[in-house]
Amino acid sequence: MSDVVLRADGLAKTFRLGFWRKRVEAVKEASFEVRRGEVFGYLGPNGSGKTTTLKMLMGLVFPTRGRAEVLGRKVPDRAAKRRLGYLPESPYFYEYLTPEEFLDLVGALCDVRRGERRKRAAALISRVGLDHARGRPLRKFSKGMLQRIGIAQALMGDPELVVLDEPMTGLDPIGRKEIRDLMLELKREGRTVLYSTHILPDVELTCDRVAMIFAGRIRSVGPLAELLTARVLSTEICLARGTGVTPALPPGASLRDSPDGMLVDLPAGSDVDGFLRAALAGSCGITAVTPRHESLEDLFVRQAEAEASSS
Amino acid sequence: MNRIVAIAWNTFREAVRNKILYSLLFFAVLLIVSALAIGNLTLHEEVRTIRDIGLFGIDIFGVIIAIFVGVNLLYKELDLKTVYTILPKPLWRWEFVLGKWLGMLLTLAVQMLVMGLVLGGVLAAEGSRFDVATAKAVWLLFVNVMLVTSMAVFFSAFSSPFLSGFFALGCFVVGRSIPDIRALGGKLGRVGQGGLDLFCAVMPNLHLFYPSGAIVGAEEVSVHRQFVGADYLLSATGYGVAYSIVVLVLAMLVFRKRDFV
Repeated sequence: MSDVVLRADGLAKTFRLGFWRKRVEAVKEASFEVRRGEVFGYLGPNGSGKTTTLKMLMGLVFPTRGRAEVLGRKVPDRAAKRRLGYLPESPYFYEYLTPEEFLDLVGALCDVRRGERRKRAAALISRVGLDHARGRPLRKFSKGMLQRIGIAQALMGDPELVVLDEPMTGLDPIGRKEIRDLMLELKREGRTVLYSTHILPDVELTCDRVAMIFAGRIRSVGPLAELLTARVLSTEICLARGTGVTPALPPGASLRDSPDGMLVDLPAGSDVDGFLRAALAGSCGITAVTPRHESLEDLFVRQAEAEASSS
Repeated sequence: MNRIVAIAWNTFREAVRNKILYSLLFFAVLLIVSALAIGNLTLHEEVRTIRDIGLFGIDIFGVIIAIFVGVNLLYKELDLKTVYTILPKPLWRWEFVLGKWLGMLLTLAVQMLVMGLVLGGVLAAEGSRFDVATAKAVWLLFVNVMLVTSMAVFFSAFSSPFLSGFFALGCFVVGRSIPDIRALGGKLGRVGQGGLDLFCAVMPNLHLFYPSGAIVGAEEVSVHRQFVGADYLLSATGYGVAYSIVVLVLAMLVFRKRDFV
């Protein structure tokens, strides 16, 4: 069994919009692979081409160039779709249906037998925490509840690969945590999860690997630990308030007040040892020394700036 | 097959919740019932008037409902983006179009059944009955409505509801006037005649489904006297089904290549 469950190879999409058929390059080049059993984050700012890429992978939009494979089959393929679950961005469902009716419809489309459909629908409604709204029509659902029923419908066919487009959109912090936990649970069950987002803290908590797309072009793909540079960006030293004499700050360093004391931020390359020795010699109390590594947000901003300068 | 049935049943469920459809049905029923009062104004022609007005109501409102349903139900899936959830399921796009069309047809069948029952009730109130000729006429109107729905679905596969409705209505008006358009040909010369013949051959001949008063097999047929026989019914139905299939296949081909942005 192949280790790669999804492969985008040089995908590009150009739309022709308006009366004059103006060309809009939504995706210029997207190449990445998603491996079995991982949670893969597809990151990018709004309008960067995330949703269009996912739509190409789901067969909703035909690529202008490139090739997409899902579960070993060229997109679109019915056999592959049977092993796939998809949640679109800001999903809208048949508002006159109840969750049970909607999941029954989805189950029928996924070729699930009637008896099994009922069982799965009941289990999924409980799993996404909608037991209390079982008989309520979807038009009375809040945005968060719709997102949950959207995830339930994506799981109705018992898929190997779950693709979620902006699953955290519109959710409160508790809802976001629940979706994060659900994604990790899916991973534990042996499923593969691909999701797009621009909410970076969620990515750090859930993803094994990520791809970053800016202005329609993927700039980096890989495990988070490899993408984030190991080098120290700065060192933060916390000095206890009212103890001793603060040593002279090296060039580029800054000093500010904080509830814990005085915070000194030494830029990369500063003589941290020398500063600490001088602080101790001046009888300063040192409560914390924290080297600051590159965060996902730093990387994201760095990539975005690089893209902006190159274009 | 289950997938097509699931889409069809869901389309029916969606349609029967539409208040506009109920309004249209209400006006159709009102028109048919009003035939009772209008019939009483005539001299010994009560039943004839009721049957004429009733069939006219079923025809016109059937077509209006067919265009409304055909144009809206597919477009709504695209506009509200429910199609984004449905098409990534293990479902061919043609199955989706066919399922939608069958659901629309079921909706229209129920609506025409209601209108037919009301007409039967009104005829019974006047001491007459819903005879075989009337049943044949209603069947032909249903085939007519099926064809108009297919046209509406075809247009809504690539244009807005307004344009789709406009095109479908245009096809209905032209299709119903095919004999008159053909008659114009004699005044246009050979090339004009050829062009007009081609046009009439391509456009749906909806006049076939409203034959009352026309000459069929050298005899004038009327729903009040001698109406069309089983062979006419069969050939008209065959034409309607074949034309609908061709139009639906075209709609499926358009839908197959469409980007859902």
